[in-house]
Amino acid sequence: MSRQLDNDNPTIFAPAISTSTKRVQKGKASLWSEEALSDDDYGYESNQSGLGSGGEQDMEDIDAEEVYDLLRSITDPEHPVSLEALRVVNPDDIHVAGNRVLVYLTPTIPHCSMSTLIGLSLRVRLLRALPTRYKVDIRIKSGTHQSEHAVNKQLNDKERVQAALENKHLLNVVEGCLMTADKRGN
Amino acid sequence: MDVPRVVRTQISTSELTPPQDLVEAVNDGKVGLLEIVKALGEYLTSTEDEVRLNGLTFLSNSLKAVNPAKINRQATQTLTNFYISKLDDFDSLPPALGGLTVLSRLSTFDDDAAVEVYKGIVENVNMKAYVQATRHMVYVLFDSLLAAHRNALKSMGTSFINSYTKMVDGEKDPRNLMLLFSIDRVILLEFEVKDHIEDFFDITFCYFPITFRPPPNDPYGITADDLKLALRKCMASSPYFAKMAIPLFLEKFGTLTGPSMRDLQLTIAACLPVYGAEAVRERGSELWEGIKTEILYSSDTSIEAAALSALESLIHTLYPTEQDAPTGLAQDIVKQCLEILNEPDKTQAIAATKILAAIFRASSSAGKFIISQALPQLFRQFNSPSVPSHRSPILSTISSLLVAVQSVYSSSVSQRSQDQEQSLEPYRDSILDVLREGLRTEGLKSPAIKGCTACVQIPNFWVKEDVEDVVRGLDDILINDQDPEIRPEVIKSLTTISTHHPTIIESLTLPLLFHNLPDSAPSASDHISREKYRSILSSLKKLCIQPALFQTLIIRITTKLDLLSSSSSKVQEEEMGEFDIRECNIAYSWDLLNSLQNVIDKKIKEKHSDSIRYIDQIVPRLNTLVVSASTSSTQNLKLDDVQPLFKDRRLIAIISKITESLVWELSTEKQSKWFNSVYQAFEKGDWAEVIHEKTNVGSVGSPLRTGASSAEQDLIALYAGTVQGLKGDTALPFSSAAEFLSSKIHWTINVAKDSWQVKHSLDLICAFVNKRESELQDSLETILGSIWSAEIQDTSKDLETRRRGLSVYLHIVKAIALLRNPLSYTALDKVIDILSLSNLDPNFVQYAASGFSVLAQGKGKSHLTAKLLHAQKLWNFVLPKLTAGDKEASGPGRLVYLTAFASLLPLVPASLCLADLDNILPPILRSLSLPDPQQRTNAITTLISILETASDSKEVDRAIHQNVEIMVEFLLKSIIRKEGLPTSPKVRITALSCLSIFPDIIRFEILHKHKSIVIRELGKSLDDPLRNVRKEAVECRAKWYRYGNAV
Repeated sequence: MSRQLDNDNPTIFAPAISTSTKRVQKGKASLWSEEALSDDDYGYESNQSGLGSGGEQDMEDIDAEEVYDLLRSITDPEHPVSLEALRVVNPDDIHVAGNRVLVYLTPTIPHCSMSTLIGLSLRVRLLRALPTRYKVDIRIKSGTHQSEHAVNKQLNDKERVQAALENKHLLNVVEGCLMTADKRGN
Repeated sequence: MDVPRVVRTQISTSELTPPQDLVEAVNDGKVGLLEIVKALGEYLTSTEDEVRLNGLTFLSNSLKAVNPAKINRQATQTLTNFYISKLDDFDSLPPALGGLTVLSRLSTFDDDAAVEVYKGIVENVNMKAYVQATRHMVYVLFDSLLAAHRNALKSMGTSFINSYTKMVDGEKDPRNLMLLFSIDRVILLEFEVKDHIEDFFDITFCYFPITFRPPPNDPYGITADDLKLALRKCMASSPYFAKMAIPLFLEKFGTLTGPSMRDLQLTIAACLPVYGAEAVRERGSELWEGIKTEILYSSDTSIEAAALSALESLIHTLYPTEQDAPTGLAQDIVKQCLEILNEPDKTQAIAATKILAAIFRASSSAGKFIISQALPQLFRQFNSPSVPSHRSPILSTISSLLVAVQSVYSSSVSQRSQDQEQSLEPYRDSILDVLREGLRTEGLKSPAIKGCTACVQIPNFWVKEDVEDVVRGLDDILINDQDPEIRPEVIKSLTTISTHHPTIIESLTLPLLFHNLPDSAPSASDHISREKYRSILSSLKKLCIQPALFQTLIIRITTKLDLLSSSSSKVQEEEMGEFDIRECNIAYSWDLLNSLQNVIDKKIKEKHSDSIRYIDQIVPRLNTLVVSASTSSTQNLKLDDVQPLFKDRRLIAIISKITESLVWELSTEKQSKWFNSVYQAFEKGDWAEVIHEKTNVGSVGSPLRTGASSAEQDLIALYAGTVQGLKGDTALPFSSAAEFLSSKIHWTINVAKDSWQVKHSLDLICAFVNKRESELQDSLETILGSIWSAEIQDTSKDLETRRRGLSVYLHIVKAIALLRNPLSYTALDKVIDILSLSNLDPNFVQYAASGFSVLAQGKGKSHLTAKLLHAQKLWNFVLPKLTAGDKEASGPGRLVYLTAFASLLPLVPASLCLADLDNILPPILRSLSLPDPQQRTNAITTLISILETASDSKEVDRAIHQNVEIMVEFLLKSIIRKEGLPTSPKVRITALSCLSIFPDIIRFEILHKHKSIVIRELGKSLDDPLRNVRKEAVECRAKWYRYGNAV
């Protein structure tokens, strides 16, 4: 091992149980199973004339669960384990209201020097994955880190984030963490 | 034959391969080998290097070419001696080695000669002076000597081994090393190497670890793994290596990383059993330290796996039999692991569990020991945990150990069993207790399920009562647990149990599941109950595939459907949510039927013979529901009566599918009988044979008669279901197939009420024509001709009739195009012709162009018969015509051809597109701007399959790279929702997934200009109203961000 790890034996958690946030389907999808709706043969709309089917369905807003889905499979910079398994991000700590997204992250240990890097990874992911109309706040969950304030300041300062991303090495580390982001819990 | 002349010509022209007729002459005995040697005489002894070399080469090549039987003992001896004398001649060495290799394989080549040759080489050849190819020849010769004359070389004793190790020392070429490693291994295994082991150590271990990386496009194809495996076999060839090898391994622990560390661990795993317990024991704990580090701290799972196999090998070497008391190292390891497990929620605890499991697998005595040490502590921790959250990882550890036990005891390879080792016996009750508690407790269910599944599979461990106990616990989770992640695990576990104990599942699980299915659908707003019945159904779908459980499923589901159909005529209840109670019941019935269909399809796929037995139980019952519903309302319809449930077309359609699946499985005799009954019902109105309870059905005539109600006409779907399931050689209940077909065509065009009915009767027509091609052969042309002139060409008829006519026409063409019937192409010609009339008859022509999508469906999932290459033939016929038409047309007229092209695209396999890419790519690219989203989707899907099909062809690569900028531009238009351009979620998702392929296959320099534009445009897609589109957009954008960044 080339470098002493901050936390060489972190706690691993089982995947979060998502019952509390289970979305309730709206419209047709609430009553009919996916199979029934996807299979054209059964033609839900019996009066349609073949072409031009699949009209626009209801608007599905971006919710906390979707944001969590974007973040859960990002890899921890120190271990080949997802942030979900380390409970660094939790579904309950993500809040979406209007055009604002607020994410609290929980470092595995109070002196974790990786918190900023993790926060930066989260920010980059959301910067790339959320529409520009959203304003994203990323904060350390209160009382979980020694230098909470400093980290918060760094993560939410546009210029500092920009400067960090111009550092080639740092960007590569972040890209490495983001490689697994598309797994989305699977 | 003038041998000297032939030889002279050959040598003087430097043509050093013997001519074929010379070889044949030797083989036939007409020319002696000696004659060639004589003829070569002056060359072989020439003082000029080049001449001598040519002579020798010619001789060796002749030896290689002639039949070995023609080289007699004397010749062998003479030639061998001659070649030996040439070994000290630098230039002559390669041909001499070639000749000797041929000779050494002969039966006339004796042991003495072998020793002579070997000595000749080691005394005269300075290996370092020669190039790789020559050295390779030396090794090939060694290999050949060793294969045939091993004992002779063995008897040379020390001198052989000394000289051998000197000869091969310092070899570096991978091609030579591959050969050397295999020779080394033979010597190490068979020769007395004990006293020379240091020399051997030097010539083998010096290569470890191998860091070779093959150059790009390596023509020899030797990979690093080939070398590693060959070397590893060498290193694990002799127990005498132990003294030097183990210290080397220990030293390497500290310095190696990555793939080399993995190599080290695997090498240790291979070597330790050979080196033996005694040698290993001395350094055992040091080896353990090195292995442990990689298990506990490595972030690379492949290294961890290698380290675990090294550990298994270590333990197996130290404690090979049950009699070897697990003292010493095993005790230390277990102690360390249990200490780590005191903090069971940490990452290292998972590693410690893996270590314990590996020890169990490795040795019987150590395995029993770790069980006796670990389980009591784990039970204690589980029952009084220091922190409540520790219980889940503790149970996980217990279950992982049980899985390890199961993997050993239920394996047919291992000799170990629970009966014999009794390792779990002392903990029987405690295991059951913790698992039962786990099944009951939130957060512990998943590990408990894993443990239960393992225990059930350990032979002779759990008795019936234990299994029943656990099944009850699992059932409870299945019914009551809301967590979507747990249920699949329970189902998997129950399915596994059902293969070992089917009766327990049948008597415990099934009744409970059925009991929990409601009798009528929950209201629209009651999502929780709906989720619950869906989850029960999905469980049943998996469990009831087994023959023993299938009949229960049929009975229960048909009973539920009966109940639903009768309850629906009650007074309408309070309306709740968006949908009324009828709609809810329809959705519920659909789910029930869909489950039944899924199980039937699965059983058919797995070739269960019992499924067809049940056709008489299933189809008539379902028919009864539908037929009684469609006929009852016509008789006395009161105002407040609710429409009967099974009048719903979605239910009729799925019942039709079930019928098709089951009918298809029947034998031709049974099919014939069944079809006769159906025919009587639909044509004559006699329903007696196809429904279950006659009394429920009013006495009505054929649903196809004139004056039938629309509801009755809907029954056409059931008719179509049966016809689609018929085979080609089933006897028909009528004499004229053509007449039958004509009546169906007439019904479709003139009687059917709407597109739903038309669709089903088109399916019927298509299937019938496809299966009865031979019977219809003579009349098809007339039938098609009359449809064309009477229905399609006649512009005085209304548009709908003409459209239906064309649909029938195209479906018949499709049916015979699948069989590559020539008529289909001439018939299609007419359709292509009318595409040119777009300015005269715009609506109809547009319809005809998109009508090509009928042909594009191909065989699909249907039971239609399709001949090989039907798609290619149709495509090759249509494409040139469309291209020609496109060229002649102008303005909007061209659009029609493009529409037809895009509609037909799904038919074409990617390989066909690639073969003719230059012609196909331009219209595909133009199709990307068609207004209809479906046609754009077709074009993009084809593009995806072109891009994804790996192709070495330079032309394909060039064509793609040339056009990629246009592709990106058009795709970006399809991902965005904009006023004026019709779109669909499907086209947006397809376009996004196509865009995300580019970063993988297009060289960055081509697209780097577009990166920022693509990323900006994709940003808009992130705000798509649909979640699935957004998801695709996010990952596509992430890929484009990475594009061009070397990570």
